[in-house]
Amino acid sequence: MSLISSPVRIVLALLGASTLFWGSAGTAFSAPSPEEQEARAILLEIDDLWRASSSQGLVRMQVKTANYTRTMRMEIWSQGKEKSLVRIVSPLKEKDTASLKTGNTMYTYLPRTDRTIRLTSGMMMSSWMGSHFTNDDLVKESRLSEDYDPRITFRGNRDTRDIIEFTLLPHRYAAVVWGRIVMTVTAQGHLPLLAAYYDEDNVLARTIYFSEVKKMGGKLLPAVLKVVPTDKPGEYTELVYEDLRFDLDLPESLFSLLELRRR
Amino acid sequence: MQLGTMAWRNLMRNKRRTLITAFSVAFGVLLSVTFTASGDYAYTNMINTGAIMGLGHLSVEHPEYQDTPTMDKRLRDAEDIRQHLLQASGVTAARIRIMGQAMFASGAKSVGGTFIAIDPDQETPAYNIFLRTLVDGRCFTADEEHGVVVGAKMAEKLNLRLGKKLIFTLTDKNGDLISELSRVSGIFKTGDDSVDGALVLLPLELVRGALGYEPKAASLVAVFLDDHREASALQGVFAGIWAGRPDIAILRWQQSQPDLAGLIAVDRLFNYLLQFLVGLVIAAGITNTLLMSVMERRREFGIMMALGMMPGQVVRLVLLESCWLALLGLALGVVITTPWFLYMAGIGIDFSRQIGEDYSAGGVLIDPVMKFRLYRESAMWIGGAVFSLTLAAGIFPAFKAGKTPPVENLKQG
Amino acid sequence: MQIVSFALRNFNRARTRTWITVGAMAFACAIMIFYASLLEGWLAAMEKNAVGMDLGEFQVHVRGFRDDPDLYKSIGDEEHVLARLKENGFVASPRLYASGLVAAGNASSGVELRGVDLAREKLVTSLDQHVWQGQWLDEQDHGGVVVGRKLARILALKVGDEVVVVAQGADGSTANELFRVRGILQSVAQGVDRSGFFMTSATFRRLMIVPHGVHAIVVKRGVAGEELDIATSRLANLLPGYEVRNWRQLQPVLARLFNMSDISLVIMLLITYAAVGILTLNALLMSIFERIPEFGVMKALGFSPWGIFAMIVVESMLQVTVAAALALGAGLPLALYFGRHPIDFSRFVQSSSTIAGIAFDARWYCVVTVNSVVLPILFLYLVAGLAILYPALKAALLKPLSAIYHR
Repeated sequence: MSLISSPVRIVLALLGASTLFWGSAGTAFSAPSPEEQEARAILLEIDDLWRASSSQGLVRMQVKTANYTRTMRMEIWSQGKEKSLVRIVSPLKEKDTASLKTGNTMYTYLPRTDRTIRLTSGMMMSSWMGSHFTNDDLVKESRLSEDYDPRITFRGNRDTRDIIEFTLLPHRYAAVVWGRIVMTVTAQGHLPLLAAYYDEDNVLARTIYFSEVKKMGGKLLPAVLKVVPTDKPGEYTELVYEDLRFDLDLPESLFSLLELRRR
Repeated sequence: MQLGTMAWRNLMRNKRRTLITAFSVAFGVLLSVTFTASGDYAYTNMINTGAIMGLGHLSVEHPEYQDTPTMDKRLRDAEDIRQHLLQASGVTAARIRIMGQAMFASGAKSVGGTFIAIDPDQETPAYNIFLRTLVDGRCFTADEEHGVVVGAKMAEKLNLRLGKKLIFTLTDKNGDLISELSRVSGIFKTGDDSVDGALVLLPLELVRGALGYEPKAASLVAVFLDDHREASALQGVFAGIWAGRPDIAILRWQQSQPDLAGLIAVDRLFNYLLQFLVGLVIAAGITNTLLMSVMERRREFGIMMALGMMPGQVVRLVLLESCWLALLGLALGVVITTPWFLYMAGIGIDFSRQIGEDYSAGGVLIDPVMKFRLYRESAMWIGGAVFSLTLAAGIFPAFKAGKTPPVENLKQG
Repeated sequence: MQIVSFALRNFNRARTRTWITVGAMAFACAIMIFYASLLEGWLAAMEKNAVGMDLGEFQVHVRGFRDDPDLYKSIGDEEHVLARLKENGFVASPRLYASGLVAAGNASSGVELRGVDLAREKLVTSLDQHVWQGQWLDEQDHGGVVVGRKLARILALKVGDEVVVVAQGADGSTANELFRVRGILQSVAQGVDRSGFFMTSATFRRLMIVPHGVHAIVVKRGVAGEELDIATSRLANLLPGYEVRNWRQLQPVLARLFNMSDISLVIMLLITYAAVGILTLNALLMSIFERIPEFGVMKALGFSPWGIFAMIVVESMLQVTVAAALALGAGLPLALYFGRHPIDFSRFVQSSSTIAGIAFDARWYCVVTVNSVVLPILFLYLVAGLAILYPALKAALLKPLSAIYHR
């Protein structure tokens, strides 16, 4: 019925190729078919669902590392698959810092120096805004069905919940660093619970936890995402959706360099 | 009587002294050959190593590529240019390459570096130092469109093994970021950490596609020559062929690798300075000996001049003596130098314990084995220089001989 | 003493020949003094470049910093450490490091940001004197930075240009500021040339939000005479909690280069003197040969073989001494002259060149050191001494009668 939320896709873009299943409550599975076909179908559904026209929201991000703890609030917009804009609202020091992504290009505007920097390959792996996301995560929008082969690996009860577990294996030539991604969603409604990222040596690199399912913008979805790196215990980055709306009429000019600099 | 024969006989009168003096000339030849030949070998080695590290003895590229090597600066018809180049004499090989900066990531780690995109069908270890120093695996084949060869240090940093994937990200000709997957097919180790940790070989077609290049485009064509000394001449020839193309620049290695060129120039100069100094010392010694022999024969010269010989002839006599000495010395020099030269040219001396395997200068790894290589021109120069110096050493004694005072004034005995 | 007086008198005989021989030896020795000074000068320049410009004699870090540099691995009690070093005869300067990005126009490049303590850095390195264009940092100029030579080329920077620095501050925020290029350095070393970006400590602390602590302390011996190894262990004992390294440990390739150069000087000396030695030997042989009747008479009159031997040796040592004196008289001024007016190769060296990663100066000064003067002279004695052995022995073992009637 309703279309997939783009903020979710923004979040996914932020997380870099992770798959989150946002289903509207009433989505039904297709008729029984071999497991793979089913998984692919759901994946396609998800991909399709993401092609929402637009979104707008307010997110709070808290980063805890061994050396600092920060909280930032930002406004986010998206349009289609390719365009997104993030603008920092607080803290005051970084207010109006903005990141614009169009396709494979990313620009960051720094209000303090009034300069716009274009992302170069050298900056890819540096952390975005001090969080556990890299710029690469933001830019690389892995389209699940294009980059991964899904397989349902478990269906049943775990920790008193009925869940479906997907394993996504990257295509032979997909430009993603992960060896595989294991996704756990609720059997009913396909609400994501957990996403585990493994590198090629099968070492768990990071885990994303989803919680606080709420109704936002007319849909039911987890409002809190928590990224936990495996090699740095105690550290995490947590995203909390405070507000989210879909299918708005966003002007094209919003996703432009000019807009980037507007305060 | 022929002065020449007389000069010779004079020399032969004191065989031991003549022999010793000739030997010191020969020693000079030995030293000169040693310094020059080891230098020439080392320089040629460094130049060739520098060439096979990517840019060749000559590189044909976009005029602005050298200063700002961004991906938009390219030769659109590189393949055609290459065909042309292969026809010139003196060119042993020409390789199409795309070179640039990229980010390399594997798992959670990443490192920045340089890539050289090569055509596996064209490339051979002869003209590619990285293929030459493979320690594991092999180069990717034409079918393996996503193969990659990385340096040992990078493999260590990124935890790579054969078959593991490496994602590289680069900025294409429009400034956009492109990422591609590749799998490690080989690992090389040159010994220079800065190279082993930051350089990667990629397949040409893969990179061409990623950059959105025209089907025949590339960053440069690296040209390899029979003899690196031909570089300037061939540069002129090629510049002439493509004079009408402002989008093509021909650079010889001195221009594409100025650090290396500067270093070699200075080292060569120092080498010559050294040889000159030693030559001076030997010449001084020869002058010393000749002078002594002249002093001893004053009575003799006095008598000769009393009997009608002109002072000028006496001078010429002594000069001829030093001429003979020079020839003798050269001949002796060839005799003692040849076995030494043959040994060093073939086997050489291994200094790796003292220098180590990772010594680099001018950006190029230096071979710790010292060997010789003498160009014909150099040999001729050495011969000429030794001859002239010996001759020059005889000038002062010759004049002294010519100024011998009348016999009556010479002391007895 | 008889021997010496004989030797002295013999010196005056056959004057021309003696002086010619002495002349040749003096010439060779003078040339060697010049060459040795040139080599010393080259080594001194390289060491100055390596050590004096950026590396320093020693560096102190928190353990693990060098392998994996981190904004947070800092020496916390730097003032205390600096005070201790001062008390113990060392001179030290703190440094701050961070990695960042510099953008100018459309170009950008990764850099190593360096916070410099202007007052103290002067004491341990001479970076401030190696500005190629523009000026060095100034405490009052908060927005001025100095960049490495290659970095300036990569970003097409001139003095006065504006650059943006972007980095991750210590609190996780995005540090970004505008700076103006105050100066561009000469070629120093590969690292500094390509990614050196210098600012005052105060500016660094403000930009990167690092109010306390430093990442490295660069140290120099207060007293020049102390041996490097001894000083290193003394320093390490003073600061047990930290990692202490001297420049040879920090740059082993460079250290090897210096070791090699010492050897090469000795080899050069041997080679050159060998050439001279052959001729000197001949001259000596000749003179001995002629005086065989004389020696015969001396022996017949009671001179011991040892006496003859000693006399000949003393004679030739006298010659060497005179030669050495002459050599000093000629070679020393020559070396000193080139100590002021360097041999300039800069026409041949287009841009910066490096050996073992250190910038290579195209102007060569002679540096007269004890080594550069003593070694050539010492070797002269050695070679001459060796050369005289055979002739002297031969003379000493003559049979008097056959000697007298020799010829």
